[in-house]
Amino acid sequence: MSESTILPIVAVLPLLSALVMGSLHISGSLRGERFYALVGTIVPVLSAIVSIFPIYSVLSSGRALDSHLYEWVSIGDFTIDISLRLDPLSAVMLFIVTFVGSVIHIYAVGYMRGDDGFGRFFSYFNLFLGSMLLLILASNPILMFVGWELVGLSSYLLIGYYYDSEGSIEAANKAFVLNRVGDFGLMSGIALLFVSTQTDRFSFVDIAGGLGSVDSATLALIGGLLFVGAIGKSAQIPLFVWLPDAMAGPTPVSALIHAATMVTAGVYMVARFSFLYEEIPYIGEIIAYTGGVSALLAALFASYQTDIKKILAYSTMSQLGYMFIGAGVGAYSTALFHLLTHAFFKALLFMGAGAVIILFHHRQNIFEMGGVARRRADIAIPMLVGGLAISGIPPFAGFFSKDAILVHTFASGHYLLWGIAMVGAFLTAYYIFRLYFVVFTASGDDTGEESLAEIPSTMIWTLYILAIGTVVVGFAGVPEAFGGDFVIGDLLSLPDRVVAISHTLEWTLTLMGLCVSVCGIALAYLIFVRKSIKERNGEAIYAQPLYEALYIDRLYRTVFVDGLRRVSGWCAKVVDDTLIDGAIMAVVRGYGRAGDVMAGLQNGSVGRYAIYMLTAISLASLYILNRTGN
Amino acid sequence: MIWNPHFFTALAVFLIYIGIVGLAGRKNLFVIYLSLELMLNGINLAFVTLSRARPDMDPAVIALLMVGVIAAEAAIFLAMIVHLFGLKRSVNSDDFRELADGRSR
Amino acid sequence: MVENIVTLLLALFLGIGSLGVVFSRRPASSVVSFFAVTISIAGLFAILNQTFLFVSQIMIGVGAVVVVTAVAVATVNLDNRGLPSESRFSIPMVVTAVTAIPLSILLYRSLVSTMGDSFPQVDGSFGSIEAVAERLFGHWALPFEILSILLLAAMAGAVAIARKEKK
Repeated sequence: MSESTILPIVAVLPLLSALVMGSLHISGSLRGERFYALVGTIVPVLSAIVSIFPIYSVLSSGRALDSHLYEWVSIGDFTIDISLRLDPLSAVMLFIVTFVGSVIHIYAVGYMRGDDGFGRFFSYFNLFLGSMLLLILASNPILMFVGWELVGLSSYLLIGYYYDSEGSIEAANKAFVLNRVGDFGLMSGIALLFVSTQTDRFSFVDIAGGLGSVDSATLALIGGLLFVGAIGKSAQIPLFVWLPDAMAGPTPVSALIHAATMVTAGVYMVARFSFLYEEIPYIGEIIAYTGGVSALLAALFASYQTDIKKILAYSTMSQLGYMFIGAGVGAYSTALFHLLTHAFFKALLFMGAGAVIILFHHRQNIFEMGGVARRRADIAIPMLVGGLAISGIPPFAGFFSKDAILVHTFASGHYLLWGIAMVGAFLTAYYIFRLYFVVFTASGDDTGEESLAEIPSTMIWTLYILAIGTVVVGFAGVPEAFGGDFVIGDLLSLPDRVVAISHTLEWTLTLMGLCVSVCGIALAYLIFVRKSIKERNGEAIYAQPLYEALYIDRLYRTVFVDGLRRVSGWCAKVVDDTLIDGAIMAVVRGYGRAGDVMAGLQNGSVGRYAIYMLTAISLASLYILNRTGN
Repeated sequence: MIWNPHFFTALAVFLIYIGIVGLAGRKNLFVIYLSLELMLNGINLAFVTLSRARPDMDPAVIALLMVGVIAAEAAIFLAMIVHLFGLKRSVNSDDFRELADGRSR
Repeated sequence: MVENIVTLLLALFLGIGSLGVVFSRRPASSVVSFFAVTISIAGLFAILNQTFLFVSQIMIGVGAVVVVTAVAVATVNLDNRGLPSESRFSIPMVVTAVTAIPLSILLYRSLVSTMGDSFPQVDGSFGSIEAVAERLFGHWALPFEILSILLLAAMAGAVAIARKEKK
């Protein structure tokens, strides 16, 4: 473990620039876009460049870099530091966040052009970047939690960026509140961890060392609670209802936060605590099944959405489910690998969707679009690459990572889970190509003649950067069965569970996966290009519930939001008015009445006064008579 | 048998007792005044009894001085009653409630 | 023997008179009862050998107090309507009657504790005017003079109160 002075720069720089841009924007002294565009993009790019060397150094040597900034809390023997740590896991995350983040920042310059709050946007965006970096570079759970919360805050700010729209504000609130629910679990887990391990410095390294003294039941509880936090952050069942609504924010936000980075924080956390989850495999089962159910349900929901961004949102939820499947069965490196590939192709898909949205003058219903491939092939090609990647078609990245998860699941004996994942893969290919065919190939009725809007060129070549990345990144995880090295597994050095599987079986499984994906694409082709199977979207009984995501959101709203409102109203009326005000007024009136009684004693009648005096005197006399012994 | 200090003292205390009852129980200003006089006479009787029982002349002299005071007090009290009657045309002590704070019941 | 009978009679007179003062409806009746009380007190003074006090009581008690009170009652001249409406045994009266008892008992006991069981013998000069004068102008000279000032003040006060306000 060696010291690094570069790490703090990487993390602090975006936060600092966010502060600067924010202040300038608020003070109104700088209105032009150019300054914010420059600062807003140079900073992430700088962070990316600066972190190349540390990443390379850590990954090649396998040794971690530390950077101790200062002591935050110090009570007796116990200390919590502000210190950053770059080990292979956080190095991979760092690469993803800075690289993909930079690309999306550049894309955002084009997308947000002409918007009034340009400076505000980049201030928030950089804030997010800094927070995410803090989260992944933290060396102890407390600091990680700080980053976690800050990321949630940035998400709230960015979802609610169009603050005049009530829908945006509601979505931002919903995201924050649901995150909070998850955070409760996370906090409880960290607290429980703290209490049961009793280490001095409470860093990840220390905790890993101190786990031996904790009994299995407590560990299970901790693992479960931590996972609750991941459920909230990564939009799994049942805390997922915020993610589709979060699409109300600008598309770059959806691309960066709700696809590539923030939502993956949950997976990162599970990987971070892999040493803990290895001790409690049955919690891993729960994680895996949660991921599986989420993956399947989300894929179903996505197949019936009409809003282009909502399709991609459910797609993200689904892919996150796959990552949790991987993490749950003990294939942490595989999950991280899928995280890496997903970051690339999902960001790519979102960015392309953003371009398409602008093309059609900010409309988002895919059935109001069509024939883009004919007119803007430069957008269609990267989108096709993204679609193929997520469907798991070689040689694109998604093939290797998704395949690895499926194989590992089957090989570790989780056949039901494998089946669910296969169905999900089929649906994934279906819905993504449904999107592609409807928007790009099918000509529709009159959309072919509509005039399309202009798109800045920065939005286009950034697509290509990610598209190239999508192709390249996949080769980091080529499994042995195909002659590769599974490099990423070596690099990450996570405590993966080893499963033995014959090459033949692996080839068979891979082939099956491929078939399933191709079938999905074919079905989409038949329905939407050939129109040979009529799309009976609005007519099937299961279509509407799936469109509404099984009314889960409606359920939450009725039970929690409306219920709480009614309780509050009741409280305001009954408790506040009747009980509290009533009690206070009763006391006040009681005092008043007591005062009146007292006043009545002084009614001015002298005879009365004489009686008062007499009473006192007689009592005194009685007392004296008693004392002098009769 | 009857002519002993205890009897006379009891008599004096009885006078005082009745005087208290009249003072606090009656509303007519004249009766209140006369009850007061009753008490004073009772006190005088007590003093004289004491004087005879010792025997000592001092308590008797005190009683004599008391009689003078009684006379003075009579003058004042009765002048006041007449004056009050002139103000309110009533000798009911309930009608003179100015000491109360405006909330007479 | 004689003392006993006389004392008893005087005591009876006194008791009825005092009840009359307190329980009469009309003030005039109270004044007459009070007259009876004053006379009885004078008599009791006499039987206790205080001759000068006996005379003073009659002169001042009856001649001044009772007379002035009667004049005042006559001046005010209430008819039955003007009398305050009060019942004979109202609650304040009962309460007073009850609460005054402990005080009375205390008073009696403390007074009696200073005296013996019977009157001692005295010679004829006890209670005579010479004996009174000897003490009054000797030991009690100062209170006597102060009393005269008090009487002066009372006189002035009475005049001030009773006079009508003239603008």
